[in-house]
Amino acid sequence: MTLQQREWQWMDAGSPLSLMELSTMSSISASEIEELVGYGALHPLNEEQAAPQFSGTCVASLRTAGKLRRDYDLDLFTVVIMMDFLVRIETLESQLTTLRAKQPS
Amino acid sequence: MKYKDYYAALDVPRDADLDQIKKAYRKLARQYHPDVSKAADAEGRFKEAAEAYATLKNSEKRAAYDALGQPRPGEEFSPPPQWSRTHGQDASGFGDMDLEDLLAAMGQGRGAGHHSRRPEPGRDYEDTVHINLRDAQHGTELHLSLGDAHGERKLAVTIPIGVIAGQKLRLRGKGGPGRHGGENGDIYLHIAFKPDPIFRADRHDLYFELALAPWEAALGAELEVPTLDGKVLLTVPPGTRGGRKLRLRGRGLANPRGAAGDLYATVHIDIAPNPSEKELALYEELAALSRFDLRSHLNQELPHDPTTT
Repeated sequence: MTLQQREWQWMDAGSPLSLMELSTMSSISASEIEELVGYGALHPLNEEQAAPQFSGTCVASLRTAGKLRRDYDLDLFTVVIMMDFLVRIETLESQLTTLRAKQPS
Repeated sequence: MKYKDYYAALDVPRDADLDQIKKAYRKLARQYHPDVSKAADAEGRFKEAAEAYATLKNSEKRAAYDALGQPRPGEEFSPPPQWSRTHGQDASGFGDMDLEDLLAAMGQGRGAGHHSRRPEPGRDYEDTVHINLRDAQHGTELHLSLGDAHGERKLAVTIPIGVIAGQKLRLRGKGGPGRHGGENGDIYLHIAFKPDPIFRADRHDLYFELALAPWEAALGAELEVPTLDGKVLLTVPPGTRGGRKLRLRGRGLANPRGAAGDLYATVHIDIAPNPSEKELALYEELAALSRFDLRSHLNQELPHDPTTT
């Protein structure tokens, strides 16, 4: 079976997600995602509280934090702390890639 | 159905309290988590501990499990009396279940008084795929092999032109099958680039090392240089210094959402390893003639620091 482009979705800044989509993709309930927003671990793209939209870039770190939470039976506030570090790691990895590309071998 | 000793899996006594069970599980999870453990049986041990913990941390499920008695681990056993009470006299369906399902059903049966199965989403798969730069430039087809309890499944995925390292792709509904009416899982692919012998990528921009002979750097040159789509002519301006980056606009990776990336040639100046006598003579002539002092800044006197002696 070959999957064509219409069957996939990029998880990047060009792919905004609704609260329910983010909840499905991260296996974290919508109310818990709202709680994460309240803690400042997630930032909706819009100010509209009734229908918040999220950047696709947050999916990977949220999925990782959610998985670690389930695997180690952690509480939601630990997800907040993990999100901070996971986003930081992602940023540093990206900077490292840039530096490696520019650095003479 | 085979019996599993969940207390033994977590190495706790049968009368252990929730704190002991949680502590024992976390210890094992930390030891055998597939993301950190290199043990060959790590995934199996982790799943075993997770299954045991999922049951023992839940008072309903734990009570249902304890009601099964203490058969020997691996021993076949029949439906418990409770099963017949809550699910009818017919034991059909019992053979298709695993212990986890049975306990979930019994736990729900106790609370709700009837058999109800909640929809369960299918398993998500997550993987990193390594593609080469040429495939990223022109698009490619990836062949994935997904293995789970339902067997192995092969899937071909078309990767579009212009993907870059670090991008994430979601294949909706192509993961494991959902249960009891739940949605199928998804596949999440993380794109990574295989190391390239010539180019290094930073998003859509590409970098490579361009070695120049001293006279090419001094006098300028027209050189053929590689790109992902074949060779192109690069003009090296006269007086090009080492470390300078010469840009070939739009010769980097294709970008479906905007302008293509750029290609940067990072200059380094090299000399022949075994110069001939004549070449050496010309270097000597140049050395005598040139007033170029590229270490002048090292010879400047530093301001006096009174804290040092």
